[in-house]
Amino acid sequence: MLDSAMAALASLADPSLLIMLLIGTVAGLIMGLIPGLGGTGAVAILLPITFGMEPPQALALLIGALAVVHTSDTVSAVLLGAPGSASASVTMLDGYSMAKKGQAARALTLAFLSSMAGGIIGAIGLTLAIPLARPLVLSFASPELFMLTVLGVALAAVLSRGNIIKGVSAGLLGLILGMVGTSPTTAEERFTFGSLFLGDGLSLVAVALGIFGLAEIASRASQRRGQKETITLGGGWGQGIREWLTHWTQVIRGALIGIWAGVLPGVGATAGTWLAYGQAVATAKDKRQFGKGDPRGIVGPESANNSVEAGDLIPTLLFGIPGGVPSAMLLGMLLTYGIQPGPSIITEHLDLMYLIVWSFAIASILGALFCFLSVKQLAKLTKVPFAVLAAGLVAVMLLGSFQEGGQLGDLWIMIILGIFGWLLKSTGFPRAPFLIGFVLAIPLERYYFLTDSLYEGFDWMARPGVLVFLAILILPMIWAFMKFIRARRKTNLDDGHRDEQPEDDEAPLKNSTWSLVASGIFALAFAAALISSASFSPEARLVPQLVSIGGLVFSGILLFIEIRTRLRAKAGRAGWTLDAGFALKTFVWMTGFLALTAVFGYLIAVTIFIPAFLLVVARARLKVAIIYTGVLYIVLLALPSLLPIDLPQGWLNTLV
Amino acid sequence: MTSSKSSLEPPGTSREGSVGQTEQPDPPKHSRRTVLAAVGAFALLGTATTVLGGSLLNPPSSTEDGDFSGETLEFLIPLASGGGTDTWARFIGTELTNYVPGRPGFAPVNEAGGEGILGTNRFARSAKTDGTELLVGTASTVVPWVLGRSAVKYSFEDLKPVVVNGTGGVIYARAEAGVAGLQDLINRDTPLEFGGISATGLDITTLVAFDLLEADVTSTFGFEGRGPVNLALQRGEIDVDYQTTSAYASAVAGIAKEGKAVVLMSFGQLNDAGEVIRDPNFPDVPTVAEAYETLHGKKPSGEKYEAYKTLLGLTYTYQKGLWVPQETPENAYRLLRESSEKLGTDPGFQEKASKVLGGYPLVADSGVADRVRDAYTVSSSVRSYVTGLLADKYNIHVE
Repeated sequence: MLDSAMAALASLADPSLLIMLLIGTVAGLIMGLIPGLGGTGAVAILLPITFGMEPPQALALLIGALAVVHTSDTVSAVLLGAPGSASASVTMLDGYSMAKKGQAARALTLAFLSSMAGGIIGAIGLTLAIPLARPLVLSFASPELFMLTVLGVALAAVLSRGNIIKGVSAGLLGLILGMVGTSPTTAEERFTFGSLFLGDGLSLVAVALGIFGLAEIASRASQRRGQKETITLGGGWGQGIREWLTHWTQVIRGALIGIWAGVLPGVGATAGTWLAYGQAVATAKDKRQFGKGDPRGIVGPESANNSVEAGDLIPTLLFGIPGGVPSAMLLGMLLTYGIQPGPSIITEHLDLMYLIVWSFAIASILGALFCFLSVKQLAKLTKVPFAVLAAGLVAVMLLGSFQEGGQLGDLWIMIILGIFGWLLKSTGFPRAPFLIGFVLAIPLERYYFLTDSLYEGFDWMARPGVLVFLAILILPMIWAFMKFIRARRKTNLDDGHRDEQPEDDEAPLKNSTWSLVASGIFALAFAAALISSASFSPEARLVPQLVSIGGLVFSGILLFIEIRTRLRAKAGRAGWTLDAGFALKTFVWMTGFLALTAVFGYLIAVTIFIPAFLLVVARARLKVAIIYTGVLYIVLLALPSLLPIDLPQGWLNTLV
Repeated sequence: MTSSKSSLEPPGTSREGSVGQTEQPDPPKHSRRTVLAAVGAFALLGTATTVLGGSLLNPPSSTEDGDFSGETLEFLIPLASGGGTDTWARFIGTELTNYVPGRPGFAPVNEAGGEGILGTNRFARSAKTDGTELLVGTASTVVPWVLGRSAVKYSFEDLKPVVVNGTGGVIYARAEAGVAGLQDLINRDTPLEFGGISATGLDITTLVAFDLLEADVTSTFGFEGRGPVNLALQRGEIDVDYQTTSAYASAVAGIAKEGKAVVLMSFGQLNDAGEVIRDPNFPDVPTVAEAYETLHGKKPSGEKYEAYKTLLGLTYTYQKGLWVPQETPENAYRLLRESSEKLGTDPGFQEKASKVLGGYPLVADSGVADRVRDAYTVSSSVRSYVTGLLADKYNIHVE
């Protein structure tokens, strides 16, 4: 065994292999940087290049890319508050808060080092887990997988910043949104109102970029000046590494959770990253800083989301069941070389297995090193006025989201969800549970249904795995509920101090007419879901009805609290603030951009929107606006020929 | 974005150093004339490019010139990755692109959902008609079309088959559930649990086989794919499963060797006369027809057997195919079909394919479209039997 491991390492000394690994790593890093592309994009672009290569070269190229995508996707989550993947939304909680305090470099350093460690531990885990993989996978039956999805949504709801009722409501609404489309059990269409477009379900990229990305842009586009002082790493990299080292137990725990979650096909990755965050919060003595820039909130999840990719390779190689699209493409590549995945791969292709392990570890180190070296440059991005960045970000995000389905409808959905995301953010609703609920809705329903039909009554509840998950699920809830009760009691004692953090700059519109409206929207949405699900077949309506009844209860409580607050504080807060006005104006700009795209096509829309936005909203210098638009114009001209990227076509294009 | 960074305050200058935390005033507004001039100029540039240089932005397909160079063949795989169809499509795609003149790139795209209906609907609605986008057709999408389900928004009559390929499969059971051989399928105390994806997909052939054999089986549907069903069987959640030939090696062979699973029968293949014969990949495994004889002591016949044979042809012998929209230019279509034919007859490919696909022939001759149309015709008695079976036994009313 050791011989093959060493032989595989020696083969990596071959320059052609090293070059492939390097190309893969760089490509993976770049694709990770662009919100919306990520691992799928990286592998999709590299895959055609591998044709005609020898298997080791091709593997080095793809593994190189796969290993580092989650290293660089942190950048947009931390700096811009726009997570490109569902799991990056975890790092965003603390990383983005830290960056807004001017500590972007610190957040990125912690994240990159953790990614590297996660990758290395993942590679070691991959080696060690090979003999254990089969019992591990087989010990997780439908009830455990169901509990895992529930746990993912619940942890996100409980642990996100903001109050727990809002978190649960947001998670439940995310679940409902995720059920738009075809039911996994009966293949009938739900909540589609007869629309073919909605029949496909909503695109994850559009939802994630809308609810986080566009919402962030709208609330910050009024910043015409950049952050002036960035808190540099006093003492340089040395201190960053030292700080990171003090969290080494979090790194290891996060990585182990990640491997385990990756091994379970289907639901693992997203839920796993949240579990890593959950355990970091649960085991911390002082929990107050979580969500406001606690380094532990970055280290654990960031370590986990890299080791997930390593864990994911285990079912891919040993069972031929990939956990995600990137590993599915890797699987396809192996098959074309006549390498049949299955338990026998260990005996027949041990050298390739070790090559994968080594490539993964080396790419993790290389990727983190590249990112680490560019931290200072990346952190400078926060010096650029956000309004100036916003123009390009809108264009890039809409283009990225268009690539998945090639439908303008996705972009409209994205803007609508952007407005909704802004409302959630401003009124103190956590958005992470909403996104996690959206991602896990279908697996949750599927495994609930299978559990229900394959097990007698509630026998499945007594399975040891389920009991463990139930304990993890219920204990923090009790804890949070106690906290809530205590907070309420305090409120009753001294009226007027309802908010424990009145200076909550994250949620300026809390306890205003806006939050009343938001609660109303929640209640309405759940009621509408409940009513329209009545027409589904019994199997297809069970889960949506349970979710919407739960949602009605929670949003009812919210509405009650809101109305009571409104009645008590007669003067109340201003309903229409300057920021709210600016945010809504920004959405009008985005809508205008999309309307221009629909009529004239993407290129013309960009050449009108970018300079106009830069000059009118951002008030950038004329020179900046001209160079900015010029560069973007050239990039857009070159892009369709270089990458498999399509520009949205407008009505005008059909005429030409 | 690089331009904006460099043209703003260079990192070295620190003229704002003393300002510190205090709010900075917003930059002054631009005059309306500046804005209009700049926006107007760029709008003009954009319009000019769109109108004049449309070919640059959206390189026109050059698939009719007998050459696919610079193009990418996109395979729409309407099912989740990792299953039999996915494996098949990726293998064929990678090989085929080497045989198409100009060696186009290959991009497999999985659009899973609604048992393959969603992805196929999407293809029918918005696929490119220049021959660069191909649909991977499979039983999961063919069966609902044959049954006339309302969710189906596509028709195979609007598509042209480039190449079709058969597959086979085996039905196997978990040994611990008390199955040692065919006899254990009938007269059971507790019925066996079959794990399925959806009764109106590829599973239908297995369900008809169970009905024909009068096997004591109950079913649970809703699994994500055959891979997860196989795992569920190994976990003991379900008792009976089937796997197609390409997944047999990784999913069934191992556990059968360990004695954890028992291979019961193969689906068989249809020969030219329309009779069920043994599958060349499972020469030692009895077919469903032989299993009937073993269990009931006579040759199978009647409407159930007719339905089984129709479905066998539709879902196995002609199961998988690559399709392009009917509007695809004849030149591009012929190029793809002839390349596939060349691929199918290449001894080197046949050798490689025997490992991955199990050596079912790749059919892409000039008569392929007609033969597929014949196979894709279902008699009304078969149709009414199948819909009746679904309604009576599984409470599924095909709408």
